[in-house]
Amino acid sequence: MSSVAPTTAGKPPQQRRGGFLSLLITEWALLRREPMILFWALIFPIGLLVVLGSATSSKPQAAFGGLRFIVVYTPVLMTFTLTLLALSAMPATLASYRDKGYLKRLSTTPIGAPRLLAAQLALVFGLAGSVVILIMLVSHFAYNVPLPSQVIGFILSILLTMSAMASLGLLVASLATSQRVAGAIGGILFFPLMFFAGLWVPQQSMGPVLRTISQYTPLGAAVPSITNSDFGHWPGTTHLLVLAAYTVVMLRIAIRFFRWDR
Amino acid sequence: MATAVTTEVVSVDQLKVRYGDTVAVNDISLHINRGEIFGILGPNGAGKTTTVECIGGLRKPDSGSISVLGLDPRAHAKELRERVGVQLQTSELPDKVYVREALELFASFYTDPREPDELLRLLRLEEKASTRYVNLSGGQRQRLSIALALIGRPELAILDELTTGLDPQSRRETWKLIEGIRDEGLTVILVTHFMEEAEYLCDRVALFHHGTVRAIDTPANLGAGLGQRISFRSTPALDLDKVRELPEVRAVHEQGERIVIEGSGDVVAGVIALLVSERVVPEQTRVEQSTLDDAFVALTAEADAELAATSGEAV
Repeated sequence: MSSVAPTTAGKPPQQRRGGFLSLLITEWALLRREPMILFWALIFPIGLLVVLGSATSSKPQAAFGGLRFIVVYTPVLMTFTLTLLALSAMPATLASYRDKGYLKRLSTTPIGAPRLLAAQLALVFGLAGSVVILIMLVSHFAYNVPLPSQVIGFILSILLTMSAMASLGLLVASLATSQRVAGAIGGILFFPLMFFAGLWVPQQSMGPVLRTISQYTPLGAAVPSITNSDFGHWPGTTHLLVLAAYTVVMLRIAIRFFRWDR
Repeated sequence: MATAVTTEVVSVDQLKVRYGDTVAVNDISLHINRGEIFGILGPNGAGKTTTVECIGGLRKPDSGSISVLGLDPRAHAKELRERVGVQLQTSELPDKVYVREALELFASFYTDPREPDELLRLLRLEEKASTRYVNLSGGQRQRLSIALALIGRPELAILDELTTGLDPQSRRETWKLIEGIRDEGLTVILVTHFMEEAEYLCDRVALFHHGTVRAIDTPANLGAGLGQRISFRSTPALDLDKVRELPEVRAVHEQGERIVIEGSGDVVAGVIALLVSERVVPEQTRVEQSTLDDAFVALTAEADAELAATSGEAV
């Protein structure tokens, strides 16, 4: 049997953590108990990076715009992780909390339900940001992918991509009627988003029409922004504006329709 | 306890709540004093949960005024949440949260919470401290839910369906727990289906029906209004018509070999005098005071009859 901490009766009350920090830590603890999410969002992208980096040619390819395969693929893996966390994990969690009446329960306490939303967002941003940095470091030191020399452009690209995906995740959470519906919508959206990011066919290999369409999808705009930053170029104002526009529009709809109660 | 200053903790005046075309709460007024355990009883759809959700600031009334601890539940929501503990009828926690983890999380929301260990002990959840929510039985979930409602050291606790899902022993223990905390000055609003619970625990009870309050009184007074019931077996058959002639008697019926006589005030004395003069010897005599249960059934039947009578004109 697991041991239970000794009672604190008689001792002076210990310093307690603030409510928001507790919520954040508890949400992180709960996420760690979901092996499927951990695998797909954290372990799988790093594993894929190692497999692809080791198995693919180290010579530049004309089909990849004169870049090495792994250079083209590293930004795609970055978007993969943050899309899974923001679009699959978060909406399903929020929808289940609403189904259970947990959000309503929190709204009867001083902390209030909106703080839970904030904790979820902080968790997704923190976790996705950490994996992005990890992918960046592994790809650089193991496979010689350049570190982004346009630092501000890179940070801006990542933050805007996360914002766009988190807004989309919130939108899914606000429209879904249950956890299962949220999971289904997230899953269905995942494939076209990742397709335009270049998960199956790199953007450099897409035809001109497909490539143009791709640039106006959130992840299709995100990947070239990151690649540009890798080589010291500005991500591209259009790309950043596309990401910002998605964020604003989807967030507005999400706020309009979000329900705290069943 | 007797010396406590009587102050009004909750005051609800002419509360009205509509859901679309349905009137859920129609003109409800309640005044609840500090240290009181106030029961709200009524069938499903009587407006009980809607009313307590308005008191808890979770729902906006269409009209009427509410004051809780001197505050407006909507305007001073944040301050009230610190001082009012709420147990919702259907609210679950995340599946994989541990019992102790949930208690510590909720404790962190309040400025002066109770110790999680104290509540684990009070609600007999110590052995379950390291169990995930999803693996708790219905009764254990219910006890955790009560613990979370009390963890902020509330001045007012709103408990919706306090002991639903608990076995009889846990139910008794939960009652004792609530009484114990009340003696520390807690005021409790208890929404319940169980008459026994209301009779045991509540100082006063409001009977809700179709969004209105049919009666507010102590459980004993609500029952006493209906009088007494005497039942027995009589060896020489008793002439029931003579019983019906007694002024105190309201109803007479036979249950198998038993004769059951209901009536007000001195019905027992009247019946016994009749038995003596008729030379009938009653066997296995039982005398019962009408209970809250009877009051409840009588009042709702009365209300339904009224409703049936008026609905013809209204619709």
